[in-house]
Amino acid sequence: MLNLIGGLDRPSQGEVELDGQPLSKLSDDELTRVRRDKIGFIFQFFNLLPTLSCLENVSLPLHLRGWPRKKVEERARELLDTVKLGARVDHLPDELSGGERQRVAIARALSVYPPILLADEPTGNLDTHTGAEILKLIHDLHDRLGATVLVVTHDKTVADSCPRTIQLRDGQVFADTRREEVRR
Amino acid sequence: MILLRLISWPYARKHLLRCLLTTAGIVLGVGVFVGMRTANKRVLAAFNQTIDRIAGAAQLQVTAGDAGFDEDVLDKIRELPEVQAAAPVIEATVGTGQNNLLVLGVDMLGDRSIRNYDLEGSDTAIDDPLIFLAQPDSLMVTKKFADERGLAVNSKLPMRTMQGDQVFTVRGIMKPGGLASAFGGDLAIMDIYAAQKMFGRGRKFDRIDIALQEGTGLEGATAKLQALLGSGFQVEPPSSRGQQFESTSRMYALASNITSVFALFIGMFIIYNTFAIAVTERRAEIGILRALGATRGQIRTLFLTESALAGLAGTSVGVLFGIAMARAMSGYIGGMLTEIYGVAQSPGDLTLDPWLIGTAVAMGLVTSLVAAVIPARSAARVDPVKALQKGGFQSLGEGENRARRRWAIVFGVASIAAFAFNRFWIMTYVGYVLAILAAVLLSPALSFWLSRALRPLLAGLRPVEGALAADSLIQAPRRTSGTIAALMLSLALVISLGGLARSSYDSLAEWMRIALNPDFFVTTAETLSSRSFVFPGSLADGLRAIEGVAEVQPVRSVRVMVKNAPIMVIAINVGAVAKRVHLPPVEGNSDEMYRLAAQEKGVVVSANFARLHDAHMGEMLEIPAPAGVLRLPIVGVVDDFSDQQGTLLLNRDLFIRYWHDDSVNVFRVYVTPGADAAQVRQRILQAFGGQQRLFVLTNREVRDFITRLTDQWFGLTNVQTAVAMLVAILGIVNALTVSITDRRRELGVLQAVGGLRNQIRHTIWMEAIAIGIIGVALGLALGAVQLFYSIEIARRDLVGISISYAYPFQTALILIPVILGSALLAALGPAESAVRGSLIEALEYE
Repeated sequence: MLNLIGGLDRPSQGEVELDGQPLSKLSDDELTRVRRDKIGFIFQFFNLLPTLSCLENVSLPLHLRGWPRKKVEERARELLDTVKLGARVDHLPDELSGGERQRVAIARALSVYPPILLADEPTGNLDTHTGAEILKLIHDLHDRLGATVLVVTHDKTVADSCPRTIQLRDGQVFADTRREEVRR
Repeated sequence: MILLRLISWPYARKHLLRCLLTTAGIVLGVGVFVGMRTANKRVLAAFNQTIDRIAGAAQLQVTAGDAGFDEDVLDKIRELPEVQAAAPVIEATVGTGQNNLLVLGVDMLGDRSIRNYDLEGSDTAIDDPLIFLAQPDSLMVTKKFADERGLAVNSKLPMRTMQGDQVFTVRGIMKPGGLASAFGGDLAIMDIYAAQKMFGRGRKFDRIDIALQEGTGLEGATAKLQALLGSGFQVEPPSSRGQQFESTSRMYALASNITSVFALFIGMFIIYNTFAIAVTERRAEIGILRALGATRGQIRTLFLTESALAGLAGTSVGVLFGIAMARAMSGYIGGMLTEIYGVAQSPGDLTLDPWLIGTAVAMGLVTSLVAAVIPARSAARVDPVKALQKGGFQSLGEGENRARRRWAIVFGVASIAAFAFNRFWIMTYVGYVLAILAAVLLSPALSFWLSRALRPLLAGLRPVEGALAADSLIQAPRRTSGTIAALMLSLALVISLGGLARSSYDSLAEWMRIALNPDFFVTTAETLSSRSFVFPGSLADGLRAIEGVAEVQPVRSVRVMVKNAPIMVIAINVGAVAKRVHLPPVEGNSDEMYRLAAQEKGVVVSANFARLHDAHMGEMLEIPAPAGVLRLPIVGVVDDFSDQQGTLLLNRDLFIRYWHDDSVNVFRVYVTPGADAAQVRQRILQAFGGQQRLFVLTNREVRDFITRLTDQWFGLTNVQTAVAMLVAILGIVNALTVSITDRRRELGVLQAVGGLRNQIRHTIWMEAIAIGIIGVALGLALGAVQLFYSIEIARRDLVGISISYAYPFQTALILIPVILGSALLAALGPAESAVRGSLIEALEYE
């Protein structure tokens, strides 16, 4: 589902619209531009590029947009500070813990402050304590940046922490729950 | 076998393109090997076949170099009781507009006891040799030649002879097969006395073919004939002429062998690369096999068997490719040998040598197996625990790399040490091989360092695409090291051949400036290498009488067996020539050597003769001549490029006395200062062109001809450049195909976070260009070393000529865009496949 919403995949039937724009009618490069401008991805296995430093990984989407180098570096440092990794900018992903890697991935997803953040099992590859920290960070960012965050999870704790939960079973919406207050 | 079916076959099917590219390396190597060898053998076989067919029943042949000898020798030979039949022969080739025509002048009265003409139908003219003789325009041609030109009995055939244009009459047509198949069927026979006139031979024969009495021993008869004629004559079986030609064209054969072996060597690196990559990719599969109980030996055998099968497939296609190549190249090689060595060729049927095919198959298989040894060993060492760990990676190459670097240093030092002792010829070759091995072993480390050095540059050009392209090379040196090594070797060969060519052109240009300074060259043919026709010496006076001619220098050049090699003896009026030409002395005093040679107290030899045949100043040379063996000391060694086997400069009068031959191949003509050269040329043609076969070549035409010959010789460089480009494309396509597989997730992430298709393409292109840059850098550097050894080997063992070291910067400058362009071309396909892949699969790919 995240792939369809994020424009990574095309639906075999039905339509996905983003800001009223049907994604299936877009070319590959148009779809990429939508992803680039409107969507940030957070993957379960982080998908950081192992040869690039934290700073370079976070800079990646900005460079791809053709931003000037100086501006890219400023923004990447700012984002790494936001995820509390300001001291580890030159480290390679292999030199970081799982939680730190996910923070870098989140910083990368936020690089252009997209209106939508898609998180695929963001805590699935982390221990409970680190998972809780990452979850807190995502909620903080949601509150501070106002972006829509869509989290896919099998973890009830994660689901319960969200203001709205849509349960899917066998490809159908099984339940749609809104909460006034959620546990953070 | 079961592992092959269950494991290898599905992998090969999945990676069909890569398998084909790998096999292409062997196809190329074996193809070039079989092609060049078969083409050479085809030309040589045609030459031998011609000798064999023309020899007929002759068991021995008497010659005196290619200058010929007086007719009275025939009577002496016929008097020997061991001789059953002796037939004089004049043999020469004539250009007929299409192919060369081999004209055989024979004595119709006695020749049929040696040769069977096997004529079509019944022809009284041939049945009665006296009628044939009585008509000096008589000619017999082969059925093939007649059919091609629509000739029948009594047809007329015009030819340009030493007595002007003459029309010959076809009086007999030989049936196909036997004698008629000599020289590819382009054969004509005429009476020997008519041939003497036609070719300006005077009263001389080129050779005498001898059939011995039944029961006479070959050795005994040879000894008796040799004693009778003296050591100025060669008495040999016909087959030894083939050996002489083989020895003359030895250098060409050696050069083409080096090319083919190098192609195979390069193919080995492509195979190594593919297998090294396959092991890395199939780590998990190997881990599963090991976990299920496969032994290390079984894993090793699996990879070696795969390699052997790839080698076998590549060799089979390579042999077919080689045959096609041989067909295409025989004409070129034959034409080139004709022009360079003056021995006309007509490639015959293509015959396959089972030994050659066997050797090619063995070479292809051994190359494949050797290339797969290290990857197979790595595969056997895979740790199943690490291989099955998700995300885990067992570095298989690091220890090996350190060992390689150590060996590279050892070989490098040994190579320098070998150079220090290079007065022993073997040490030059040892040093050369060691230097190449050192470079090959060091290439992965150098590729790694150069990739790191390139990273800032590439990242500076394109921050994401450039950095990722460089990182891809830095992270996986194994993936590209084989490709880079192949590219490096290939380019090094191109550079060394290019450098050799450039240095040779420079040396040749200098020699031409000094030696070829007459205004005109009056010759019997359009080319200087053809020696079928000769002028009478008396023509010199006629030329001198022409208004505007200041000086005429007659030159006679003949091949004579000296030091068991066919050496070119050049007979000139040394005193006169020395006033105009002073060839650069290598040994001896320039004035002194010409003075002594003019006084007939010695011979001046070329530097290549001295080097190739280990001759030195003061050494007494024995030069066989019809009048006896001429013994003269070497009074000087000079740089002279007239012939690849070397030359001996003799005084013309001495030559005339010893060879009884005052004929001339070329007249060097100097025009009076102030005279109009074009008018002088016209006067010469008007005075003599109508009476006889005569060409007046300008200085520029002669220089152009020699330069064209050299161009043809170095045409091999073009083949090498083509091979280098193919290697570049094949290797880079191979490396990139694997790189894309390896980087599938990385490229997926790049697209997921906003990378456009063009940006993905750029990173692949930049990786290809980076491979090209590294390959070119290493290739140009190794080329500098290889050029040094090539010049050394050429000087010592091939042409014997001192060639100054001149790095071919122009070739290098051309190679840079060519290889980088090829790299970019090679990257187009893989880049498209990278952008077309499923993004979802890429992101889930593990």
